[in-house]
Amino acid sequence: MATCPGFASRTRPFYRSAPMNPFVETRHIIQRELRKNLRSVKGIALAVLTLLGGSSIALLIAKYNDFKREEMGQISPEELHMLREKALARLYEEDTAKWLADAPEVLLALLSFTVWLAPLLIALMGFDAISPDIQHRTVRYWTIRSRRWSYFLGKWAGLWATVSIVTLAMDAIIWGVCVVRGEADVATTLSWGVRFWLTSLPLSAIWCSIAVLISSLFRVPMVALLVTFATFFTLWVVYLIANVAHLDPLLYLYPNHYDHLMLDPKAYRFGTGVLASFGMTALFVAGGSALFARRDV
Amino acid sequence: MSTEENLARESKPASQPPAPEAQANVESAPKPADGLTGYSPAPLPPAARGAKKKRKDVEIAIRVNKVVKRFGSKTAVDGVSLKVKAGSVYGLIGPNGAGKTTTFSMLAGFLKPSSGEIEVLGYAPTQVDELRSRLGVLPQDALLPPWDKVGEFLMHMARLQDVPADRVEAECREVLEEVDGKDWWNVRCSQLSHGMAKRVQLAQALLGEPEIVLLDEPTAGLDPRVAYEIRQLIKRRKGRCTLIVSSHNLQELEEVCDAACILDRGRVVASGSITELTASSEEVRIKLGAGPAPVAVVRELPMVKRVEFDEERRELVVYFDRGQVDAETVIGHVLWALLQNQARISGVTKGKGLEQRVMELT
Repeated sequence: MATCPGFASRTRPFYRSAPMNPFVETRHIIQRELRKNLRSVKGIALAVLTLLGGSSIALLIAKYNDFKREEMGQISPEELHMLREKALARLYEEDTAKWLADAPEVLLALLSFTVWLAPLLIALMGFDAISPDIQHRTVRYWTIRSRRWSYFLGKWAGLWATVSIVTLAMDAIIWGVCVVRGEADVATTLSWGVRFWLTSLPLSAIWCSIAVLISSLFRVPMVALLVTFATFFTLWVVYLIANVAHLDPLLYLYPNHYDHLMLDPKAYRFGTGVLASFGMTALFVAGGSALFARRDV
Repeated sequence: MSTEENLARESKPASQPPAPEAQANVESAPKPADGLTGYSPAPLPPAARGAKKKRKDVEIAIRVNKVVKRFGSKTAVDGVSLKVKAGSVYGLIGPNGAGKTTTFSMLAGFLKPSSGEIEVLGYAPTQVDELRSRLGVLPQDALLPPWDKVGEFLMHMARLQDVPADRVEAECREVLEEVDGKDWWNVRCSQLSHGMAKRVQLAQALLGEPEIVLLDEPTAGLDPRVAYEIRQLIKRRKGRCTLIVSSHNLQELEEVCDAACILDRGRVVASGSITELTASSEEVRIKLGAGPAPVAVVRELPMVKRVEFDEERRELVVYFDRGQVDAETVIGHVLWALLQNQARISGVTKGKGLEQRVMELT
């Protein structure tokens, strides 16, 4: 207990002898975001839909594989491997295609599904990360207790953690389907499955940072949702144009493009992909934090 | 206000200058020719906005120096300066659009001033870590997070205030009990009534025994009973912290505040102790019923400086020299003289009342 300055007649518990670590603030905010996202009606509905969607896709892929095996029964496994390698080479570099051809087909399809649909999930989960707090001024309870940048960082990390947990749950269901249907043994499934899930994390980190940035810029959540969708769609259109017009530098504006680097078996390419993803994330988070710190709430 | 109520109010001995501590409590900004003490804002220590300062004992809890806030072309706050001494209860008064909430929001760090400086306990309001747990705020119209339960919300706030982990729940339960809400721990914020939500908001503002508590319209929209309870709670906090209360409810402010400033169109039009603002140490007002109005008799009383009588309102205003005599003595003599002359008295007040003062100035 220490005497409170200015009040000789009373004492108060003076808890604080050192500054609070901003990352402790961030941790508290992440924990709350996780609780909120995974417990809210919207969060539960999106998680259930994602899991159902993922399971349905897994079953469809499995059915397709059955059909393919029946129809292409005369083709040897080696020839099939070659065909997959050729198909993958259209999307990835030669080394990457060769490496990915060894992966169970269901899991590879799952990776594509996760990477391509994650922006949708993130847009739906992230548009109201900050905007309703600004709209209803709820944010004022936080800004007197946490640094603005740690609040922003906590919001981003909370969203990223939520998305990561939901996609892990979806992946786990599909790994189960993969093992039960005999697509691959447990070790192979887990080895490729975890690797693919980890690959999706830096990509979703970028999408989350864009979604939280947009959410912090608009007071009305519906406007934030529309702008988030518009931005994500614009990035995809730019990617398509860059692909068609062979404007390679523009490809790197599209977060999902970094999967080409992260799926590469060469360590330096993988490292570059991870660094680039987190660099892009850091850019959006830092920019968003700076803007949020300057604005009136 | 009834005679009994007025007479029951605390007063100073006749020979003492009135409300010395309130005068010391507050010095405030540019004033018109209203007789109140002037305050020429002295420059603040360099770079009060953003400068990192060491914690120190402070006598002045809040210092505002020539603060301007513009929203586009509109100037919401125009050169406001004020000082609030630690331990006082200070009111921000004014009509809608006067700049009360904007000033309040700048004190809490929600809004950044366009120019001028603000110090809260010697720090800029945006220095969150330095003010953590030392500044509590009840913002106006800030909704509680609807998805949180009351207990969860308060515990989260307490953790962010760096309350030790083993004290978090106990602190939150204590403060919730203080606002008479101990049964709401597991209630979702979205299910709280307006009055309950206001008390939970108040609880978060009082969490951790902050040194300064800013209350923006603490009783707005509440039924009289809840408003009364909140006023009692504010009174109980008096002396334990510095309280800044922004409100439209002038009777409420007159009841709880030591000092106040009156804002109008973004400027301070008057400020000082409540005694100074209401001139309660310089005049008494006596409402007369139908019948004789012996003004001349009152005028002849030795302690009376001047007497005015409003025929229409049947109100007698008696002015006296506050350095020579106190209001209670004057009331005694004047009432005696009036009653001796068959006047019928229907009410007595010290000063003009904050409401009338505000009406005159805004």
